Amino acid sequence: MQVAGRKVAIVGMGGAFPACSGLDEFNHKLFTNQSLVREWDLAVQYSKQIRSTVSGYITEEEMGLEAVWAPITEKYPETYIDKLGRIPDGNLSTADMGSVWAMLGAQESVKMAGWTEKETQSEQTGVVVGSGGAGNQILRVAWHYFFQMGKKARIAGAHTVDRSMSYREAANISCLLKTKGVCESITSACATGLGNIGHAYRLIKFGLQDRAIAGGVEGTALETFIGFDGMMILSKGFSPAESSRPFDINRNGFVCSFGAGIVALEEYEMAKARGANIIGVIDEYFNNSDGDGDMFYPSFAGQQRLWKGLMPDKGLRPDVVKMHGTSTPVGDSVELLSVVDALGEEGFHLSAPKSQFGHMLGGAGSVELITALLMLQNQKVLPCLNSDTLNPEVEGFQKSPDWTGPDKPLAAYRHLVPQQAFEKEINRVACLNYGFGGTNSAMMVSRDI
Amino acid sequence: MSNLKNYKQKMERQEILDGLLEVLRTVRTIDPARLEGVTEETDFLTDLSTPSTELINIAAKVEHKFDIEFEDDDIDRMGSKVKDIIDLIIMVKERGENQ
Repeated sequence: MQVAGRKVAIVGMGGAFPACSGLDEFNHKLFTNQSLVREWDLAVQYSKQIRSTVSGYITEEEMGLEAVWAPITEKYPETYIDKLGRIPDGNLSTADMGSVWAMLGAQESVKMAGWTEKETQSEQTGVVVGSGGAGNQILRVAWHYFFQMGKKARIAGAHTVDRSMSYREAANISCLLKTKGVCESITSACATGLGNIGHAYRLIKFGLQDRAIAGGVEGTALETFIGFDGMMILSKGFSPAESSRPFDINRNGFVCSFGAGIVALEEYEMAKARGANIIGVIDEYFNNSDGDGDMFYPSFAGQQRLWKGLMPDKGLRPDVVKMHGTSTPVGDSVELLSVVDALGEEGFHLSAPKSQFGHMLGGAGSVELITALLMLQNQKVLPCLNSDTLNPEVEGFQKSPDWTGPDKPLAAYRHLVPQQAFEKEINRVACLNYGFGGTNSAMMVSRDI
Repeated sequence: MSNLKNYKQKMERQEILDGLLEVLRTVRTIDPARLEGVTEETDFLTDLSTPSTELINIAAKVEHKFDIEFEDDDIDRMGSKVKDIIDLIIMVKERGENQ
């Protein structure tokens, strides 16, 4: 269990962000209230078969990559060329798009952390990175050529497994950096990104590792997008920049997006001793399940228990709550009311980064943790963009006799929901993410003061 | 006649080698510099440092390039030298023509 006195610092971060060349541009665009959601030309090509066509997608070119199209199979990236020479061809050959982003994010994180080669390649350095989906883009081709075209299994190439297996991002990072510690993935749907960082935090907190590369990824794939489109839960009817609108009364679904967020974690005293720049300190991580048997519907009781686990010591009050805030009708209102139930009606603000870049699925929790770290660095709260009108009426579920939460409508909490970024003293941010299956995760991260 | 036959065979092997080199230039895990001066005696694994998993991809690309289809047993039995793959291509082509 936890080793007394052992703390965990975040000393590096990096990744892949829609419509941004890197972390600096991401930082700038977020804090100037910009939306990174765009009309997706690839989705538009299938507009007769698809309901939503907006996304926070990322192209190969934006990441300095070029796809090598397979001569045998149409529109299938056999491998990628790194035009900036960051990743060797051998490593690229075993990676799908998301794994390439994961490797780039890991390189950036290690560089920012300032770890030596010896430290990085140590038995005390682990990799805990995962994604929400399978390697869908890769699998589609393998299956199509086998089942529909009757081709031999080998026609899809020798890299179907390493480019699509569940822990491909972790495996590719470990092979690139030659780490010798734990290498594994945590998978928990849209809580994956935070779940991996939470697990890595525990490995260090419990004394099993001194350093870890951790995070979550969701590589651009229409194959992934159409699954959610088919559920008819994606935003529809707004301009791209207005499509993701957590807490707004007219929200009608989330924006399916893609991205990667990778962080470098290190035992606090070790980081301090070598003079590392400490971006944030993880105070606590807690996760649980709703336990109500429902795959999709959010649970107020589950989220109440989540907050109880996150704040065993009531001294750990956040200045900002980084919400899961997907822009789905029920999810947002249950979440807002559970936060008010846990923290009261004032003394904090809500921030919903998905309002600016959509829902990155397996990448969401980790990219949004990076936005929390940027809030700590910039001392500015990120907005809930497009939260133009909060419901002045109580929600239907609030009228149920079983409801035990706040009885005011969402509009009563307008003062907690900023529409623009603004300056504020921020010492601690709570980060929330939930996933299908009723999984809930929460992390508290502080400034090192 | 036998000289002409030998000449034809030699030309055919050269054409196949040229085609094979075109395929190998598309394989990102093979250093292009190592493809200078490739002969039939060049070994994929030891001379070109080709990852063994890549031989399967090369075989698939060769099938596409030369419009042939290997049996799985052909690939299982194939050696790792350039001449082995040329022999295999010729054998499979002839097998196809005889059928």
